[in-house]
Amino acid sequence: MSQTSSSSSSSSASSPQVRPKAGSLWQKWLPYLAAVGSLLAIWQIAAFFLPAYLLPDVPDVFVRLFGSMNDAEFTDGIQSSLLRLAWGYPIACLFGAALGLIAGVSQAFAVYLRSLISILQAIPPITWVPFFVILLGFGNATIITVIVIASFFPMALSVLNATEGVNRTHLELARVLGANKLQLLTKVFAPESLPAFVTGAQVAFGNAWRSLIAAEMVGGAAIGLGYYSRWRGEVADMEGVLMSILVIGTIAAVLDLVLLEWLKRRLLRYRYVKTGGAE
Amino acid sequence: MQTIHVDHATKRFGSLEVLKQVDFRLEQGEFAAIVGPSGCGKSTVLRMIAGLDHPTEGTVSANQKPIEAPHPSRVLIFQEHALYPWRTVEKNVAFGLELAGMPKKECQNRVDALLKKVGLSGFQSYYPHQLSGGMRQRASIARALAMDPEVLLLDEPFGALDAITKITMQNELLRLWEGSGKTVLLITHDIDEAIYLADTIHVMSPRPGVIVETIRSEVPRPRNRNGADFVHLREKIMTHLDLAK
Ligand SMILES: Nc1ncnc2c1ncn2[C@@H]1O[C@H](COP(=O)(O)OP(=O)(O)OP(=O)(O)O)[C@@H](O)[C@H]1O
Ligand SMILES: [Mg+2]
Repeated sequence: MSQTSSSSSSSSASSPQVRPKAGSLWQKWLPYLAAVGSLLAIWQIAAFFLPAYLLPDVPDVFVRLFGSMNDAEFTDGIQSSLLRLAWGYPIACLFGAALGLIAGVSQAFAVYLRSLISILQAIPPITWVPFFVILLGFGNATIITVIVIASFFPMALSVLNATEGVNRTHLELARVLGANKLQLLTKVFAPESLPAFVTGAQVAFGNAWRSLIAAEMVGGAAIGLGYYSRWRGEVADMEGVLMSILVIGTIAAVLDLVLLEWLKRRLLRYRYVKTGGAE
Repeated sequence: MQTIHVDHATKRFGSLEVLKQVDFRLEQGEFAAIVGPSGCGKSTVLRMIAGLDHPTEGTVSANQKPIEAPHPSRVLIFQEHALYPWRTVEKNVAFGLELAGMPKKECQNRVDALLKKVGLSGFQSYYPHQLSGGMRQRASIARALAMDPEVLLLDEPFGALDAITKITMQNELLRLWEGSGKTVLLITHDIDEAIYLADTIHVMSPRPGVIVETIRSEVPRPRNRNGADFVHLREKIMTHLDLAK
């Protein structure tokens, strides 16, 4: 897993469009490093006053973490969590974006979608876990379904708002130039909602990851990062618990910063070209 | 080719009467202009001819057939340039052709030729936010011309441009129109622009918008903005707009 994240970060850093100056790169990362550093510092200071079985030292947990990279139970857990994310999150994004777009052209469907979302939003995603465990059994199907439920609606809402606010002149212009309904959807509504799609993708990602871990913790699966951390908690293995928290946080932060940032720059390229047109 | 007939068209938005009994014809191949103060309903007339709006009473027809919906043979150039910010210049210009499903290669040739015609060669891959106001308006004119429309409807196309760019663009528009056989209807609140460009000038008064006078200008081109007949026409129009001293 550390391999995948480091390779994706290096490939995006070497891509030609995203190459900020060294100074700005430093400026961008410094606050982030400071945030991480202060959290670790608070932890370490607290650890000075508490016995190791209650709060282990920071270095000990990192040592344990590197040791656990050979522990199949732990790495398999990471792998299956990421696999579920890799299925659930894109499905949720596409599904949400499609619903939002359709709502953009059909007033009635927009009202329906808004009601649906407000109902789903009122139900915490993990309350679906028992329901789907009975219906689909333990494991991937249940967790992926929960991810989709938890994360399609920020995307749908975001795209829906964007399609409702679509520039009227942009639409009329397309009609004047002969666009049919489908072309309005694909050539005006869709590109015009791309910024909202990116925002939706970012919010949806947070929802997806949180509900994934939560669903694993409350017993939707017998393998996975969430499951691992609960299990370590049950045997009062504080190092194991902290290590899981570290990994859960790191994966989310790396995916958010690297993958979603890359997605944003790729989809909204026109906003980032400053000189001399596109390449 | 088509003749546009606006036949006693009245337009109300709710209780607001915007146009009242507007009646005029657009002959094939003529360059006509509508002048009038802001808010008198000029854009509304144009939108009805483009098929984006419909009269509350009366009819707007092309070759005796009522205009129900937009048609690529009548292209409207909007008051605000309305280029798509996510498309490069060439993709913007090619938009209508793309909608019609023209093959890529043919499309490319046509777009390149048009960009050359409007003086935007070399800016193919620029995005709208990288262009000046005049260049944007050139691009949107090129996009309209790409459709090879029979009727070109321009809604204050140069309103937002500085005086120098404006004059250049007016000359370029004339150059593009002359000999093309296209019918042009230009909306403007710039009286000089109307006289300089158009052969028929419809003067509109506000609230509700009515055409108070239709003037046929016989001033030979190229028109001298300070010539006697030019000044005379300007005075005449200003009188109709209650602007004369
Ligand atoms: N969709 C609409 N709903 C309600 N009122 C409208 C609508 N469109 C235009 N109007 C009204 O119609 C009147 C004329 O508008 P229009 O845009 O045709 O004016 P205009 O002559 O083009 O003005 P300008 O020179 O400022 O562009 C305005 O008072 C405007 O408020
Ligand atoms: Mg107007």
